[in-house]
Amino acid sequence: MTKIEAIIQVSKLDAVKDALHGIGVEGMTVFEARGHGRQKGHTEFYRGREYTVDLIPKVKLEMVLADDMVEKAVDAITNAARTGKIGDGKIFYSRIDEAVRIRNGERGDAAL
Amino acid sequence: MNTVAIASSDLRELYARESAAIQEEFALSGDGRSALDRRTALVESILLRLWNDIISADAAAPKDFALVATGGFGRRWLFPHSDIDLLFLHTNSGGETAFKDAVRRFSRELWDLRLKLSPMTRTLAECEKFDPNNVEFAISLLDCRYLAGDRELFSKLREKTIPRLVSRECQKLVQNLGDITRARHAKFGNTVFHLEPNVKDGPGGLRDHNVSTWLALISAIEKLKMWPDPTTLLPASSRRAFDDALQFQMSVRCFLHFRHGRHDNTLTWEAQDEAATRKIGAADFEVATAADWMRIYFGHARAVHRVGVQLLEEIPAAWSSLSRQFQSWRSRVSSPDFSVVDGLVFLQQPNSLQDPEMLLRLFHFVAEHGVKLSTTTEYKIEQVLPSLAATPPRGAELWLYLQETLVQPHAADALRAMNALRLLPVLLPELRGIEALVVRDFYHRYTVDEHSFLAIEHLHKLKESKSEVDRRFAGLLKELEQPELLYLSLLLHDSGKAVPGDSHVEAGLQLTGSSAERLDLDPADRETLLYLVASHLEMSAAMRRDIFDPVNVKAFADKVGVPERLKMLCLMTYADIKAVNPEALTPWKAENLWQLYISAANYLNRSADQRVHTDDSNAALSHLHSLAPVAGKKINSFLEGLPQRYLHTHTVSEVLAHAEMAVQLGKEPVQLSLKQVRHWYELTLLTADRPFLFATVSGALAAWGMNIVKSNAFSNASGTVVDTFYFTDRFRTLELNIPEWERFKQSIAAVITGKADVARMLQDRLRSEKGHSTKVKITTQIDFDDTCSAHSTLMQVITQDRPGLLYKMCSQISKHGCNIEIALIETEGQMAIDVLYLTAHGAKLDPVRQASLSKALYSELNAM
Repeated sequence: MTKIEAIIQVSKLDAVKDALHGIGVEGMTVFEARGHGRQKGHTEFYRGREYTVDLIPKVKLEMVLADDMVEKAVDAITNAARTGKIGDGKIFYSRIDEAVRIRNGERGDAAL
Repeated sequence: MNTVAIASSDLRELYARESAAIQEEFALSGDGRSALDRRTALVESILLRLWNDIISADAAAPKDFALVATGGFGRRWLFPHSDIDLLFLHTNSGGETAFKDAVRRFSRELWDLRLKLSPMTRTLAECEKFDPNNVEFAISLLDCRYLAGDRELFSKLREKTIPRLVSRECQKLVQNLGDITRARHAKFGNTVFHLEPNVKDGPGGLRDHNVSTWLALISAIEKLKMWPDPTTLLPASSRRAFDDALQFQMSVRCFLHFRHGRHDNTLTWEAQDEAATRKIGAADFEVATAADWMRIYFGHARAVHRVGVQLLEEIPAAWSSLSRQFQSWRSRVSSPDFSVVDGLVFLQQPNSLQDPEMLLRLFHFVAEHGVKLSTTTEYKIEQVLPSLAATPPRGAELWLYLQETLVQPHAADALRAMNALRLLPVLLPELRGIEALVVRDFYHRYTVDEHSFLAIEHLHKLKESKSEVDRRFAGLLKELEQPELLYLSLLLHDSGKAVPGDSHVEAGLQLTGSSAERLDLDPADRETLLYLVASHLEMSAAMRRDIFDPVNVKAFADKVGVPERLKMLCLMTYADIKAVNPEALTPWKAENLWQLYISAANYLNRSADQRVHTDDSNAALSHLHSLAPVAGKKINSFLEGLPQRYLHTHTVSEVLAHAEMAVQLGKEPVQLSLKQVRHWYELTLLTADRPFLFATVSGALAAWGMNIVKSNAFSNASGTVVDTFYFTDRFRTLELNIPEWERFKQSIAAVITGKADVARMLQDRLRSEKGHSTKVKITTQIDFDDTCSAHSTLMQVITQDRPGLLYKMCSQISKHGCNIEIALIETEGQMAIDVLYLTAHGAKLDPVRQASLSKALYSELNAM
């Protein structure tokens, strides 16, 4: 099992969700996030005050998948979230030892 | 096998068999009260068997020891998975020790039967002590009932100990009960109208029923020093609805316990579907859908909640000391029409509500002072409602009162009260469909009507919020020219959810149009209202795109068009999201909303010089031509080269009037129009552009003592300027002297044509006003931007507002050889925010001229 964490642009959330559903990924957790990589912040002046946004709004998706789904999911996210510009986001993945479905105690891939 | 073990086995079988029978009977009858009676009797019979087996073969013995039912069990409200509250009552601690093992065995047998027992052991003296950390125990005694043992001991508890305790600790008991209840209500957002309500603990639930009874009981015992007749506890006017609600809610909670197989009181969507199909508690009603059944539920819950809240207000001891001070203050707000006693409104003249205007004034009073209607006032309203429904007030009269009510700090409470009494749907039938309407989605927590009231409440609460983010939005709210339209749009924005179909926005627009008609709104207000309802999801949608991408910001800002609408839409989005559920407006979303707002606001200010070209296709132009086909050429000639902003900020009738004034310039070189609009006056000037023009008119207005709040200056391709000044009349010169209007206009025309000297006029005025105080010190800030316009340099000046400011500033600009192409002048409290598009010799200002102008302006403004 592998956990995928994808940080993407807010505007790409619907497209990424659709793409993941398209390859059969049903479950995911979505977080409101802020951050930046190489992308710089944004400054706006309003009524004589400076409003600086160092950390850009993003969304973070987390999902745990069976290993044979991982590459398909990464492709789906990449294709749906890419604009080609700085700030498109990143995908991280890591090994997961075990999963348990709380409702019935199922474990492993069956719990996903 | 000993006798107790045999008895246990028997009892287990009896309990299982009888419980199944109760459930079966309930499945057939849906009668909650009957199920509770049977279950209470079943548990009592088990307790008596165990009492006989373990404590005493004689049910009325031993002496000095009694078994007492308290709490829900005492009330005979034993729901299928309720706890069984038992009190082992002893005369003294000696008895407690003697029966310790027996009580332990007794309890264990009950637990083995899987009954959820909550046992307490107390002596009579302990029962009389008030423990502030365990108020619940004292309250549970109010429902005490004899089960077995020493009957005389129980009589002492009920007839002497409890009345003494309650009389002595009345105030603390009620105060604690009030605090616990308010905290519980706050946990549920202080509203009955949840999409998945908790039928026990939610506002208007069974717990509120108990609280009302306890409050009335404590109050009566305190007065009588003995137990009152239970049938006289509540006023007759409330009792019927209260009892009906109880029957219904008992059935619902019973149904939920059986359905969920545990102590779960949440009326989930699935449970609502099943309850509606089985018509739980509603056998006599027409129930087609779950929404119909939920309306019945909310009707009952609302009745219980009203009684509970009224009792909390009416029984003075229920107030905490802070609350008492507040109530005392509220008592002082009485007027010749209404008196306020203990936070409740009474009518000074009992029959005054025959006059519909008085009814509207009553709710305005509620909205202004945050007071609640007394039971008698509610009764009076209910009496006049049928005649009012036959000929409801409408038109300007209704709008006058409604708008004044909507802007008051407690408007949401007034609307809730109007809705609860069915008055709101009489005044605005367009809202009838969303009354207590459950629309299921995973985000909304409240019914549609409550969501709308909550949205209005959140905006009003902005004013007192300490949060940094909220204060930004509060600033916008303060700047609105017509906040009443925003509140009205929030009231109506989801009205379309009651109409089946794909788009609640489309349906809502129809209903909003009908409301606007009913209220006889003027065309401009109607347009704004419809715009807000039509666009209430636009900003949320824009937030789902990249809010820092200039293309997205432009697309959104172009749709909105003008800053005033942007402010309203931003606040509407804030309130709409926040009213979805308490967690919906996360700091993340609030920050994004603000960023989108300021980006769009800046875009609108920096793109104000996009011009109208009458050859281009333009929806606004086509609309104009369709309305005035004969005047097409005249309109084109006037509009050519005017900024697009002009079209966004003026109504069709204004544009047509200005086009006509432009034609008249041939006869009279200065065309002026003066009118009073809402809180201010509006002066529109059309004339040929010339140096110092904007400064001169600003100076003349200041010389007359007028305070310029806002101003726009535009010019078209043929060099005609259209300047509009919005000002307040500080000395009420125009308000008190109608003949002065003409003299005022002549004076303005005279300074424009050079027949009067504005400098001298202003000098006299400024001399008389020297030494005016400033509450907030604003540091002057001047910025230039060459990038946002193709032809002009944008200059933004933020400075302290004061008389003659615009004149001085614009005179300096003209002295530096600059032409004001567009001026967007605004004030926010004591801060003037002026955006000017400047050119010199038809081009942008070079850096030298910018520096020189900046220096001169700093010097001039700092010297003022």
